[in-house]
Amino acid sequence: MTDREIDEALKRVSQTPHAVEPEFLGRIAGSIKASLQPVRRLPPTWTFACGLALTCTAVAVAGAARAGFYGIEKMSLLQRALIFPVIGILFWVAATEFVNTMIPGSRSRLSPGALLGIGSVVLVGVSGLLFRDYRTDRFFSVGMVCLLTGLLHAIPAGLLSWLVLRRGFAVNPISAGLVAGNLAGLAGVGVLELHCPNFQAFHVMVWHTAVVPVSGVAGALLAWVLHWRRGPIAEASARRTPRR
Amino acid sequence: MARYQEGDFAAATALVEGISPQLHRFFVAQLASRSDADDLLQETWLRIHRVRHTYRSGEPVLPWFYAIARHVRVDHYRKAMRTRAHEQRLAEISTAAATVSGEARPADDLRDLLAPLPESQREVIEMLKVAGMSLEEVARATSTSVGSVKQKVHRAYRKLRETMSAMGNRKGQSGGQA
Repeated sequence: MTDREIDEALKRVSQTPHAVEPEFLGRIAGSIKASLQPVRRLPPTWTFACGLALTCTAVAVAGAARAGFYGIEKMSLLQRALIFPVIGILFWVAATEFVNTMIPGSRSRLSPGALLGIGSVVLVGVSGLLFRDYRTDRFFSVGMVCLLTGLLHAIPAGLLSWLVLRRGFAVNPISAGLVAGNLAGLAGVGVLELHCPNFQAFHVMVWHTAVVPVSGVAGALLAWVLHWRRGPIAEASARRTPRR
Repeated sequence: MARYQEGDFAAATALVEGISPQLHRFFVAQLASRSDADDLLQETWLRIHRVRHTYRSGEPVLPWFYAIARHVRVDHYRKAMRTRAHEQRLAEISTAAATVSGEARPADDLRDLLAPLPESQREVIEMLKVAGMSLEEVARATSTSVGSVKQKVHRAYRKLRETMSAMGNRKGQSGGQA
């Protein structure tokens, strides 16, 4: 059996007409007729991506303004010139992928898991390159404060991102939740880089970067729970509504 | 599609009539029964209608339809798993039994032909070889990369080669015995 023979077998079955009852199709067309109104189409991807990136930047700046810009004030010019553009690029990539997960049939360049992994590795790499203080004073206690601060700022970023894209339709809600969490986590990292004056290499590499995967996983879990809960609730409501 | 988005009923009807047989065949190829495929098609159109604003003109239309159809099928499968876990197990046993007993039959329809493949490979082969979509379009519809689609096709062909060769051998043996 060769590939050509398989191709021919598939071609043969694909040429067999597959009919659906015209009355059934008429009923489907009839069911959508009542609510057939003109709809406002979605704007291009870059418009949404700009909106999301600006939203997350605004959350990061607002959070740091409230807590104090101690981190950026203590940074050297090189550190500022590298860290913030890298976070900006990661914002843009995550925002574009988030838009893609919310529009069916969009081209996806990176899987949500790969996006999360690459983003985390890039942040660890940049931190390792720029910070050379290898002490680990109060590693866990100070680190947990930074992680929680980052995650607390990720929550409004995630909610605002969802508001920006509420007209979309996630074909895979868990992937969409993972990417949204990733994006929101980057906003949390932005707050920490602007605010946190602790430049110990392991602190930045572990606790600042950890905001991204933790937020991503939390986003995926939240999406899974909401999707799982919506199923039984929708079923119960369908049972209450008599079918015509 | 643009006219459907503008609220043109004739365009909506034309789309329903044009796309539905393809989507119905897609559901049947995923081992759904005819009545399940009808339900899935109806649910898909309700979903399409609700999110029709998310289609952007200039983008390929088939990946958009198939992405929604896939979503409906996955939802349906999960719902069935939740509510009928026991019946599902029984159905799987009977499907497996049907596959084993049907191995000696010629692959006279798509469902029989694709039955030995896992779900992810089956849907890719259906879209690529039956619906006539390009690799790029299949990648968009399944939210994966073109490389991943190629890999699935390669594995599916290997599996089909093995299965069809086994069928041929069995037929040859039974012909020799007769």
